[in-house]
Amino acid sequence: MTEFLTAAVGFILAMLALGLVSILRGPGDADRVMATQLIGTGGIAALLLLGTVAGVPAAVDVALTLALLATFASIAFVKKGLSRFEADGTASTENE
Amino acid sequence: MSIATAFEIMLAAVLLGLGIWTIVVRETFSATVGFVAYGLLVALIWVRLDAADVALTEAAIGGGLSGVLLLGAAARLRDAEPMAEAAPGKLLRATAAALSVLTTATLAGTVLLLPDPAPSLAPASVANAWATGLSNPVTNVLMAFRAMDTMLEKVVLVLAIVGVWSLAPDSAWGGRPGPRHRADPYGVLAFLARLLSPVGIVVGIYVFWTGANHPGGAFQGGAILASMWLLATMAGLADAPPVSSRPLRLILVAGSGLFLIVGLAGLLFGAAFLSYAPALAKPLILGIEVAMVLTIATTLGLLLSGAPERSAEPWAP
Repeated sequence: MTEFLTAAVGFILAMLALGLVSILRGPGDADRVMATQLIGTGGIAALLLLGTVAGVPAAVDVALTLALLATFASIAFVKKGLSRFEADGTASTENE
Repeated sequence: MSIATAFEIMLAAVLLGLGIWTIVVRETFSATVGFVAYGLLVALIWVRLDAADVALTEAAIGGGLSGVLLLGAAARLRDAEPMAEAAPGKLLRATAAALSVLTTATLAGTVLLLPDPAPSLAPASVANAWATGLSNPVTNVLMAFRAMDTMLEKVVLVLAIVGVWSLAPDSAWGGRPGPRHRADPYGVLAFLARLLSPVGIVVGIYVFWTGANHPGGAFQGGAILASMWLLATMAGLADAPPVSSRPLRLILVAGSGLFLIVGLAGLLFGAAFLSYAPALAKPLILGIEVAMVLTIATTLGLLLSGAPERSAEPWAP
């Protein structure tokens, strides 16, 4: 079972490396942030598998934290990176 | 070479490549995105090195909050970027390169000259864990054996928020930080904020609470709570409080204040500054940590919100 999980970690790491290529290539900012999200998801999977293989139960907590904060970072990207700050000091991203 | 070692080498190579790209890339925004991904991968490596406490901090700070801080800075700098296009002179470039090479060489030399085995106080801190009643050695060191450092860190947080607030223009002083975010109340952002924030608050409190005996702690829990607060703010469900609010300021100094009071009590009734009576150690540490998690969450949230820039009046649509 451990061999299988280790192989799965290897597969996910390869996918992480592919996601990295996507960050490097871009071309747009949105593509790069999507690739970061992919790396975040892959990182969570790798953490859960590593935690099981290496017997580190706290890896689950780290995965939980990553899951929360990766989502948060992508929202901040939408709000800060794409929003146009209007003259009255308000920011809006969705069409009203 | 085992297969696990091969993975580790691969992970390290990927991380190095990402690090170099983050430095080399020209656009601020792409570099920031690279930095966020870097933080995620570093968290993975810390878990591999059995340093789950550091991994949690890296995931919360490196992958989350500082990424958001840098994203905001990049968005602001974007308008100013064409001005900075003027290439630096040859002398400046040569000096920067020489300084970088010198720093790298010094670091590399220091790493090579490290004594082996490294001097360690880890066995001593594990042997004395009984004195506090907590079984997470990291929390023991942070809250008891080196409590002075942690207290001063909390003072640094207060200083940081004073620094950010001092950037406020006179007209906005006492007002609310950051722009008032608006979003469709039935849109996907408001939905996500309603769905994720309660879960995140529970996870934040859990990470804080479990820190007594397992990896976790006030800083990591506070960072998660701060990000959930910011999420609600960004979705327009909550508004940042005015900086003139007295309850807010009390929360900002609660962590360092309580730490100082307990420290002085140790000086009066106990052996030394910040010494805890063994019977009271655990409740005292937990009490300080509760105050600290509130202070940390509020301070981090306000640091990311920025300087006050609008009036304290509640926003009306």
